Amino acid sequence: MRMVSAWTIGLVLLGSVGCNPSEGSGGDRVKVDFWYTWLGEGSDAMEKLIDEFNRSQDEIYVNGLAQGDTQKQMTAIVGGNPPDLASLPDEINLSSWAEKGAMLPLDDYIQTNGYDMEDYLPAAREAVTYKRKTYGLPLGMNTWMLYYNKDLLQEAGFDGPPKTIQELRKYEDKLSKKKDGRLVTLGLWPGTTPHIWMQSFEGRLWDPEKKTVTPLDPGFKASVQLSEDIWQKHGPENIDRLLAGNGTYGSPQDPFATGKYAMTLDGEWLAPLLEKNAPQLNYDVAPVPYDKNSPEAENAGYINVNLLYIPKGADQPDAAWKFMEWLTAKEKMVEFDTAIGNLPPRQSAMDDPIFESVPKFDRFLAYANSEKMEPLPSLPFMEKYMGEIHKQIDRINRGKVSLEQGLQEVEKEIQPLVDKMEK
Amino acid sequence: MKKKQQDFWLGLAFASPFITGFLFLTVIPFVQSFYFSFTEYDIFTDAKWVGFDNYIRIFQDENFYKALGNTFFMAFIAVPISLLVSLLIALLLNMKVKGIALYRTVYYLPTVIPGVAGSILWLWIFNPEMGILNTVLRYLHLPDPAWLMDPAFTKPSLIIMGLFGSGGGALIYLAALQGIPKDFYEAASIDGANWWHKFYAIILPALSPVTLFQLIMGLIGAFQIFTESVILTGGALGGPDQSLLFYAVYLYNEAFVNLNMGYASALAWILFVIVMLITVVIFKSSLRWVYYGGE
Repeated sequence: MRMVSAWTIGLVLLGSVGCNPSEGSGGDRVKVDFWYTWLGEGSDAMEKLIDEFNRSQDEIYVNGLAQGDTQKQMTAIVGGNPPDLASLPDEINLSSWAEKGAMLPLDDYIQTNGYDMEDYLPAAREAVTYKRKTYGLPLGMNTWMLYYNKDLLQEAGFDGPPKTIQELRKYEDKLSKKKDGRLVTLGLWPGTTPHIWMQSFEGRLWDPEKKTVTPLDPGFKASVQLSEDIWQKHGPENIDRLLAGNGTYGSPQDPFATGKYAMTLDGEWLAPLLEKNAPQLNYDVAPVPYDKNSPEAENAGYINVNLLYIPKGADQPDAAWKFMEWLTAKEKMVEFDTAIGNLPPRQSAMDDPIFESVPKFDRFLAYANSEKMEPLPSLPFMEKYMGEIHKQIDRINRGKVSLEQGLQEVEKEIQPLVDKMEK
Repeated sequence: MKKKQQDFWLGLAFASPFITGFLFLTVIPFVQSFYFSFTEYDIFTDAKWVGFDNYIRIFQDENFYKALGNTFFMAFIAVPISLLVSLLIALLLNMKVKGIALYRTVYYLPTVIPGVAGSILWLWIFNPEMGILNTVLRYLHLPDPAWLMDPAFTKPSLIIMGLFGSGGGALIYLAALQGIPKDFYEAASIDGANWWHKFYAIILPALSPVTLFQLIMGLIGAFQIFTESVILTGGALGGPDQSLLFYAVYLYNEAFVNLNMGYASALAWILFVIVMLITVVIFKSSLRWVYYGGE
């Protein structure tokens, strides 16, 4: 507990440094308190935009605070003293918070102001919708692709990335290398959570008709099986050991940058990091391979978004909306997303020439634009559901339980939550 | 009489900051958590009375047993080990050698390092590839486990890490050691006792009150392990195969990640009862093995 409060204090201090006192409190302008979750470079980019907004008009004054702790937002909402506007780093809690009434539905604002929701990618729109109401506006979007080390693939005699899961398995087998009985190169890093690649097997985690969770869905099962097979083939102790020696993610010692992973599934933000920290690395990205038996799954994939929302009990929801509208307009969105290395969730922003300057973004944008992109289902118990899945997958990968058993456990644990909700 | 009453109110006024804090930060939350343990409460919506549901669910909860098992491991294996090591260090530091003040300082030093900083330091020491520990082990041609990555070694790693801070316990033992009258040793020597007799018949009984104190504090600490687990596992669900899922970590997850305040309160009360029971058992048994001088 001591640690938590120390972090909170640290974040608050960080936040107050990030504020810009030179503008003053803004006199008699309507003051909007905005807690955003971006830190470091993201915080700088956000402060720049907030400044620009504050200078652009004289009615509203936005007071930004970098505040990475989403629990603190929740506490503030419960305590009845929330900010007027806040951001969440992903949508996993949106349904749960919306269900509890902690977020203001934005549909009235969208309608009266003629805000163009249609411009958002359908999957991004879906991510901020719960029970047919919109609770947030996406500002950035993420998707995952297959990163592959061109040199290592070539060495192994492959001249292009794998297209199907069947090929992927073959590649993985050939690319993995051992030295003195110890794993030194992993063909494919199998730790990425299967919900990121289950679309490749037409897998799903929720049946909206029957209102049941479906961890035993054949597609999802197959995606877990893929990771289990890789773990079991190399042995968990070997993979643990390889992992343990990994350098910091995205740094020059990143396991993909140093060739410890020949292939890995990762998000678009890794590409700018690699360009900065591992410029010599010869790599490329490709759509996540799909199961040959599900040709429909070609180019299917997973997206998530970060979002802005108005907490329940906000003093100035109208002014907060105005700033939100300004910030999510195409130009500002593009400016912010390029700065933080995220994809823009707006269709009209996709072909903005500025993204040509970000490495590999053309590929990510084209992939994200596929109709087959999906977010996770909007369910109020999603955090718990994913937690349970992670836990069981860890046990399955380590051979502590069988695939079937582990996923049954997930169902047993989560389905009662659905039943309780439906009551 | 009047003066006495005035003193009473004045005293109360001076004590009021503590009383207010104790009341609002300890007593009221204590009572409230008891009430919430019989409800379903997610902070947002009003608490809903569910009777004993939470308590029944706890005893069917696999995570509860896992967390309890891990915590018991730390309490009943790690705590005795650390007591033993503290005692050994204290015995060493009690010797009359040159520069003993320096040694004492050096052994105590790690205790002042905050939990978070210490955990991060050990994260590096335990690194299976680049860490200093495995580098040495490999040099000696000994097996080099993956430490914090291997479910079988996570808790032993934590124990080793805990020994780093044994200086605090050693200091308390040292103070007690220095309080033993020299006559005892002299009398024992005249009777022809060797070092083992002295240790067994003088030092151990003389240190027993301190051992009781350290044992209870150690157990209470073990039941509250949180920082190390969260830092070493990056805040995940208890590390590889949940081998570092401790009671306090599980409680925290339920309360602040899953927002099951009612369930978490019930967990807290069960922990309270367990710690109470263990403390009572130790106190009762201590009548047999703790020796207070003069009795």
